[in-house]
Amino acid sequence: MTATAIPRTGAGPTRPPHRPRPALAQWAADLALGVRLSVSGGRAGWVRLALIAAGIGLGVTMLLGAATAPAVVAAQQARVDDRSAPLWVPPEDAMAAGPDTVLTEVVRSQFRGSDIEGVLVHAEGDEAPLPPGVERLPGPGEVVLSPALAELMASNGADALRGRWGEAIGTIGPEGLRGPGELTFYAGSDHLSVEELASRTDRFGGVEPADADPDPALLFLAVVATVVLLLPVAIFVTSAVRFGGEARDRRLAALRLVGADARMTRRVAAGETLTEAVLGLAVGGLFFGALRLVLPRVVSVFPGDLRPVPGLVALVVVLVPVAAVVVTMSAMQRVVVEPLGVVRRSGDRRRRLWWRLVLPVIGLVLLAPLFGGRGASSFSELEQVTVPAGMGLLLLGVALLLPWLVEASVRHLGGGGGGVAWQLSVRRLQLDSGTSVRAVSGIAVSVAGLLALNGIVAGLESGAADVTERSATEFQAEIYGTDGDPRWEQLADVRGVREITMTSTVQTTDPATGATVWIDIAECAALAVDTEVGDCADGDVFAAAPTNGTVPTAGTTVDLGEPGSAQAASTWTVPDALTTVPTVTGMMASPEGEPARFFITPGALEGVAPTTDSSTLVALDPAVPDAMDHVRTAAAQIDASTHVDPVLTEGLAPILADIRQALVAGTAALLLLIGASLLVNVVEQMRERRQLLAALLAFGVRRRTLSASVLLQLAVPVVLGLALAAVTGTGLSTLLQSGMEVPVQLDWAGIGTTSGVAALVVMLTTAASLPLLWRLMRPEGLRAE
Amino acid sequence: MLDAPLLVADDLSLSYGETRALDSASVQVHAGEVLALMGPSGSGKSTLMHCLAGILAPDSGTVTYDGRDVTTMSDVERSALRRTEFGFVFQFGQLVPELTCLENVALPLRMTGTRRREAERVATGWLERLEVGDVAAKRPGEASGGQGQRVAVARALVTRPRVVFADEPTGALDSLNGERVMQLLVAAARDTGAAVVLVTHEARVAAYSDGEAVVRDGRVRQAELAR
Repeated sequence: MTATAIPRTGAGPTRPPHRPRPALAQWAADLALGVRLSVSGGRAGWVRLALIAAGIGLGVTMLLGAATAPAVVAAQQARVDDRSAPLWVPPEDAMAAGPDTVLTEVVRSQFRGSDIEGVLVHAEGDEAPLPPGVERLPGPGEVVLSPALAELMASNGADALRGRWGEAIGTIGPEGLRGPGELTFYAGSDHLSVEELASRTDRFGGVEPADADPDPALLFLAVVATVVLLLPVAIFVTSAVRFGGEARDRRLAALRLVGADARMTRRVAAGETLTEAVLGLAVGGLFFGALRLVLPRVVSVFPGDLRPVPGLVALVVVLVPVAAVVVTMSAMQRVVVEPLGVVRRSGDRRRRLWWRLVLPVIGLVLLAPLFGGRGASSFSELEQVTVPAGMGLLLLGVALLLPWLVEASVRHLGGGGGGVAWQLSVRRLQLDSGTSVRAVSGIAVSVAGLLALNGIVAGLESGAADVTERSATEFQAEIYGTDGDPRWEQLADVRGVREITMTSTVQTTDPATGATVWIDIAECAALAVDTEVGDCADGDVFAAAPTNGTVPTAGTTVDLGEPGSAQAASTWTVPDALTTVPTVTGMMASPEGEPARFFITPGALEGVAPTTDSSTLVALDPAVPDAMDHVRTAAAQIDASTHVDPVLTEGLAPILADIRQALVAGTAALLLLIGASLLVNVVEQMRERRQLLAALLAFGVRRRTLSASVLLQLAVPVVLGLALAAVTGTGLSTLLQSGMEVPVQLDWAGIGTTSGVAALVVMLTTAASLPLLWRLMRPEGLRAE
Repeated sequence: MLDAPLLVADDLSLSYGETRALDSASVQVHAGEVLALMGPSGSGKSTLMHCLAGILAPDSGTVTYDGRDVTTMSDVERSALRRTEFGFVFQFGQLVPELTCLENVALPLRMTGTRRREAERVATGWLERLEVGDVAAKRPGEASGGQGQRVAVARALVTRPRVVFADEPTGALDSLNGERVMQLLVAAARDTGAAVVLVTHEARVAAYSDGEAVVRDGRVRQAELAR
């Protein structure tokens, strides 16, 4: 054969001498190449990098937010500690009055459902200490308000609040506030006494805070919520790292072709991932900075308190890039990057179940303390750590089990049974379900965690309802400790008050058995607040049996008060004629159960009526706005230390409502994050397969068929993921409810809503990806260049 | 009497599952020779080239390069061989899409420790030599098919390899562009003294070779060199 004539053009540039680099320099060069590759690539490359950085950044923002929470709590608690007054002590133990002492009494109030907590103060001398943030102690009829309370009072429609504690003479500075939105005050009073509920002190702060330990159930809920909300974030960060994985594999194959060995390739990939992670950290820092500006407008927190704990920040800064590199390296374990391209090792190898069960099984073992139905309050210190850890492992198990479940399920799905869309999607999933599953695993873990949380909240709500349930009656407000004082009769003239009535409750003992007996004395309508009196007339007596035992028999004479008390001299004899009413639960319960109770109308006392331990019930006119707050203001003006309670107390309900709101917000943020992740994954997959899509269109496959196939490719893993999440979340919820000693019940509404919203996210993601799908399906997509 | 062959495949066999891609295939390439591996689609010619280049390991048989057994080399050694002794041109350039054309050509040099400025100087020379100096700052996706292939040829030659493997280098180009790419590839290879292993099924492309080996059903029949 004769060679074709080739023009000679010279030998070309000479090759520079080959200078092998030292190992460290080679490492640095490979990493630097990775960095270079990650920031190059034109518009598509920048979009990919921006998506990864935004994805990691969102996760980092949430992690930094979590790292800030302890600092916020600590800063707020420090200010609360600095202003705290000592707890009440018996008068004989109280310190002596002096020029440097002040009497204090904590009072609580509400306005339109918002809690207000303040302190009544009475300076006993010129050198009385000042609480932080207060320039002058208010005198009687004066009040120093927090800025938020002052603003609330000044707002339109706050007539029912104005003047509640006296004339405002100033505001409390930030150093004396838990947060900028705190509703608090210091009001002057001239009738505080250590014989009553006041404490005497010569300083604020440095004493044991008055706040009790938080409810263990709520504390446990907080730990559970932290685990549930942060775990999907971690999963999201790891899947964000793998955006654009296929393009990266191709890039690495090209490097292999020009002589990069497998180790160099891994280092280049690590360099790429590190750049993305560092950029993600920077973006997360920016997002967090923006969040710091926005957050004080939404929640009551000073901007200065929003400083993440340095140790936790360091952990995020180190762990995110390390986790990103580990994820990339682990993803590369499953592929062989060869000069001719990428060979996936998992193609013909089935996913194994056994190792995927290890973590959830360990999780279940760690959750063992919950199996016996023991309460969270009885957990040892170790169990307080191991139980949330077990929960985290169980939730992580969802992410591990889902790929196996999807693979095992789609293996048995016949691709030929349905239409072309079904066939395309099933075959695609059979070939490689990993990409779709990765996108869905975040949703599955979130849903499982949120179902568990919703279950706990529902259980707590139901438990709270059990404890606080009272009959809805014509009375809406109750003021304790009015003790027959005629001043309280003024309440009848307050705007929005229809009627008031006095009631008395005394504790006594059954002389025959020594058991505690409670006696309520009030008119029929007032008795109906606590029990079902039915047909009732003055002179009637009603009895509710105790949990164990019986009510004192007819003819038994009981003291109308504890021995030695003011009422002990008055006695009452149980009459023959009395009506039995159901046992009243929750109100006076002791460890032995509910005590025996008598409900007596005044006519049955034959003129004997206790005047202490009495309270006033108030009936409100529902047509008058803020009627309850008008009563609160009037009551505070009579005696600032009294507290007006709604008859139907809400118990934990307001806190739980707040938690539910926070859950909804958390769920929304998480699903937004996951929706973004899903969209990026779908877009990525489409770009990878643009030629195939164009080819399918070229031989006549309809757009809607391909659109349906995209939807099904997501829907099949999502349905399986939601099923797995429902089982895990509900099981976990049942365990946690039992561990928190709340009634075990399934929150079907929560399951439906959370699953429905997750399904909606999938639909929206698919819809958002369709324009790109149609664009990629144009015949131009067939072009190789 | 010809010199001892530079690259020798001896009795290579390789199967993909049940499919026998190479069946006792043997072939020799001499220094500076342009050898065309010809045959119909699926005959095994690309597989043979990949074995010669140390990209694929045969099930049996040996590949010897310059007296060294490639088949027993580690991945690191084979990667080093590709980095320093071999160059590659494929049907679709296999360029790194994120890098500019200049950076793509400079990449093999940079991987062997050459400083960036020096590597890019040499790469610029090769781009000009292959008449694509004007796309140096563009990314591969912004260049035409013919320009991309010439960039790939420049990248294959920049390390002055002793063997250039070209797998259907004109397969994606029109005839005019294909002709020009072949002219430039073979001319540059001759000028640098590199051997070229050219996989093609087009006689017009094979016409640029000094000799040809026909691959059919994994077996090779190599014609004598017409020197």
